[in-house]
Amino acid sequence: MKNVKRLYVCLLLLLAFSILGACSSNSEKESSAAKNDPNANASAPEDFKGTLEIWTFFADVEKMAVKFEEEYPNVKVNVSVFPGDQYQTKLMNAINTKTDVPDIFDLEKGYMGKFMNQPFVADLSAMGADDLVKDYVPYVKELGTGEDGSIRAISDHSSPGAFWYHRDLAEKYLGTSDPAKVSEMVSSWDKIIALGKQVKEKSNGQVSLISHYGDAYNSEKSHQEMWVKENTLNIDPAWETVFNNMKAIRDENVDAKLGYMSGGWGDALNEGGVIMFANPAWAGFMIDNENGAAAGKYGLAKTPSGYFEGGTYRAIYEGSENKKLAYEFLAFIAGEEWQQYNLEQTGNMPALQTVYEKNKDTFTHEFFGEQKILDTYYDLVMDIPAVKATENNDEITTLWYDAASEAINSGESYEKALSDFKGFVQNQYPDIEVK
Amino acid sequence: MPVFVEEEGESAFMFKKNSLNKDRYGYYFVAPFFLSFFIFGLGPILYSFYLSFTSWSGFEEPVFVGLANYERLIHDEVFYQSILNTLIIWIFSIIPQLSIALILALVLHEKFIKGSHFFHAIFYFPNIITPVTLGVMFALLFDWQTGSINKILEYIGIVDEPVNWMNDPWMARAIVALAIMFQNFGFNMLVFLAGLQAISKDLYEAAEVDGASRLQIALNITIPLMRPVIIFTLITSVIGGLQIFDAPLMLGKGPDNSTLTMIMNLYETAFVRYDYGYGATIAYGAFVVIALATIITFMVPGVRNKKEV
Amino acid sequence: MKNAAGTLPPYEREWKKTKRKSLFVKTIIWIFLLVAAIICLIPFYSMIITSTHANADITRKLLLLPGDHFLSNYERLIDVVPLWRGVFNSLFITIVSTVLGLYFSALSGYGFSKYRFKGNSFLFAAVLATMMVPGQLGIIGYFRLVNEMGLINTYWPLILPSISDAFALFFFKQVADGAVPKELLDSARIDGCGELKTFHRIALPLMAPAIATLGIFLFIGKWNEFLQPMILIFDTELQTLPVMIASVRSQFNVDYGAQYVGIVISIIPVLIVFAIFSKQIIGNVMSGAIKE
Repeated sequence: MKNVKRLYVCLLLLLAFSILGACSSNSEKESSAAKNDPNANASAPEDFKGTLEIWTFFADVEKMAVKFEEEYPNVKVNVSVFPGDQYQTKLMNAINTKTDVPDIFDLEKGYMGKFMNQPFVADLSAMGADDLVKDYVPYVKELGTGEDGSIRAISDHSSPGAFWYHRDLAEKYLGTSDPAKVSEMVSSWDKIIALGKQVKEKSNGQVSLISHYGDAYNSEKSHQEMWVKENTLNIDPAWETVFNNMKAIRDENVDAKLGYMSGGWGDALNEGGVIMFANPAWAGFMIDNENGAAAGKYGLAKTPSGYFEGGTYRAIYEGSENKKLAYEFLAFIAGEEWQQYNLEQTGNMPALQTVYEKNKDTFTHEFFGEQKILDTYYDLVMDIPAVKATENNDEITTLWYDAASEAINSGESYEKALSDFKGFVQNQYPDIEVK
Repeated sequence: MPVFVEEEGESAFMFKKNSLNKDRYGYYFVAPFFLSFFIFGLGPILYSFYLSFTSWSGFEEPVFVGLANYERLIHDEVFYQSILNTLIIWIFSIIPQLSIALILALVLHEKFIKGSHFFHAIFYFPNIITPVTLGVMFALLFDWQTGSINKILEYIGIVDEPVNWMNDPWMARAIVALAIMFQNFGFNMLVFLAGLQAISKDLYEAAEVDGASRLQIALNITIPLMRPVIIFTLITSVIGGLQIFDAPLMLGKGPDNSTLTMIMNLYETAFVRYDYGYGATIAYGAFVVIALATIITFMVPGVRNKKEV
Repeated sequence: MKNAAGTLPPYEREWKKTKRKSLFVKTIIWIFLLVAAIICLIPFYSMIITSTHANADITRKLLLLPGDHFLSNYERLIDVVPLWRGVFNSLFITIVSTVLGLYFSALSGYGFSKYRFKGNSFLFAAVLATMMVPGQLGIIGYFRLVNEMGLINTYWPLILPSISDAFALFFFKQVADGAVPKELLDSARIDGCGELKTFHRIALPLMAPAIATLGIFLFIGKWNEFLQPMILIFDTELQTLPVMIASVRSQFNVDYGAQYVGIVISIIPVLIVFAIFSKQIIGNVMSGAIKE
């Protein structure tokens, strides 16, 4: 009897404590956000003080932190770099167990869709972020927008792609190296295929117009409808055109069959053998520029459609006690000053249209000689459809490419590719209905 | 007083007082290991086992789904294909790998090889080069248009057109197996050498006096005495070899997923698609495959046998 | 040749033939060894040479001639990460783990090999079975466990599990099976040695080549460990070398040049350890111990 009684008391106490505990932790959260924030009334950069924790997967963020600290002298920014794919796992674990979660964390374009709509990601619109991104390139803005329409993550750059072509080869085989004229010659995939055949003939098979049929996929892959609609696989008929272009390129022997970013591809990019490459704006690290060897070597031509590759977005942790300061940081990297600096320092394209416009008629890059490259990129970047980041759209796109390239390599039809593709999707996403 | 003890068909003289009664000391010897094992080793394994009965994307709490994941697994064609791929790649890599390792160890153990620990180091180097270097190397060797292998074959005149190596399922698997073999033979060679060093020199000298040839010594003395170490290599090659992951990952999935291994499949499911529950299920599916393979290996004549006591 | 040999007495001819044959075999073996050595050396050499080149060259060539970018690569590396602090962190973790791992694995491997206590086979099979569970997902459970214990951002969760390395246990059990004769142990016991003393005095020296070999494996394994420290350590200052090296990257691309400089630096301790232990593997500890 005594034991049972004791058990009761214990249980009651436990219950009471747990309720108390729950209450206090809730109220603590609210009050700490409101009262403990030393920056609640801050407005000028000098007013802000405190320490900001940022997690990222690349070291360059430290440059951002340095610039920010210059502007906000009483703020210390701690950047922790956790490299590799498993950065996601670390972030997830820390958030799940609420262990030392940073105020700001970086998300890569490839997986941001999985994180962005979670409750631990702060709603930036509520803090006024709509104003920050109102002049943004549409696709960059939309990628950072959550399912509910609020801004959840902000990037400081865009990453458009275009054809980089060897000027000397263009002169020799296309008859011109003028960017506007070359752009006109490659303004559709039909034109590219026809032109590619001529180049092969003219060079006795030694020179190819493009490196790989993958270019026809990469530069078109963001122009189709989303893969999943109402939980059902939705295959945009436009994909068949992409397939046919890829297949024609291979069947007509237009490409050099050098895989994107492979060794042979890198050689061709630097030494020739292939005239043009669909590259994102950040591909400059592949160019060998020792002693200015690559100065003025390339021209930039428009791809038939605008496209982009990669991107890093920054979000604020909902449980952060330092949200106002964290928001200041995002506002800083979303501003013209930083994006202008970033463009000049690293060559990363801005996210703000205003920065594009400012540099359109002036900005040149060593590799491209006197060409005003932002002028070319601007038209392309504005052509990229604005879509939200979803949980699995990118991965399904990759599955399509796997199926398509397998079919092309073994001479099979689009029907075969489609049925393979559907099998892949069904296997990997059993919740999606495949018809 | 000596007593006669029957041990698994083997008989030996033993001092009962001095040996059998000491057996309980064994617990003290293995206790630290198991203390650490129960704290650090078992927890994560049991947690993964729990996850295999849940649906979990990594964010909300895991939702218990009973055997649903296992049901999905037994109907999962990709899982079966990954088992087949893994076994094929494993066989392609393990046979040359262990043979080369054993031959090299025997050769390096010979007296006439000067500076043999210089060779130890060099043969172990492939094991410490980074996966990126290895990946770049194999990609450059077997590239379709620009690869050195194709260049050589074309030069000699064996092929007219460059061969698209990675487009053929069997070729792709063979290349992955080659990479794994290259990476690991030095490791097994060192294990074999450690076993060789433990064999008494007296035995060799006696055999040499009797006029036995090198080959006879190797077959009749060395290899039987190395049995425990060879068993170790064999078993760990099964356990480790079926969990191959790094090398295939850097060479890709191959045509028709032909080089997708069990662990690559696990990794993609869990860490790319955030399907942690099903990823854990694949892990335990792989566990069953590996356990079966290990049991089969133990049944090979000469492996599971008496132990020396 | 044939004629010359034919004039010799039969036994001498026989003798010369054997000698020629063995010389021939030795030459073949040497050529085989040298070719194999070159094949193994090229990628290793190339890895070191790569650290002296610019990024644009690294991913597209197997580089074999030194370049002149080593210093600029090094500067970019130390510009971003506290490299030498990382070397120290890694050395500390690796050395402590290796020593703990070697001692306790040898202890328990010997225990499994030489004592037929109740549950011996079962416990051993259980340990073997845990090696068969793919470990990739374990990190999630491990993070939670370590977090509950309050050991996140410390070296304990990186070091202590070395005590229970299943691979090392298995290895030492097999080695003890083969290399530690029961008779020697029994005679030590008759001489009045305690069990632990017998292990230290008799078994450990007999297992020296194995300890050296496993020392290399444990050291290199721990030295290169990436995932565990990356997930469990939060402070950059406490981070290990491989994680620091891997973090040298910009938004879109990896700075291979700087990373390879880091890799070259991180190979030096591995080579030193190899040199030390490798002598031990060769060292003829055995015959002395047996003859005793």
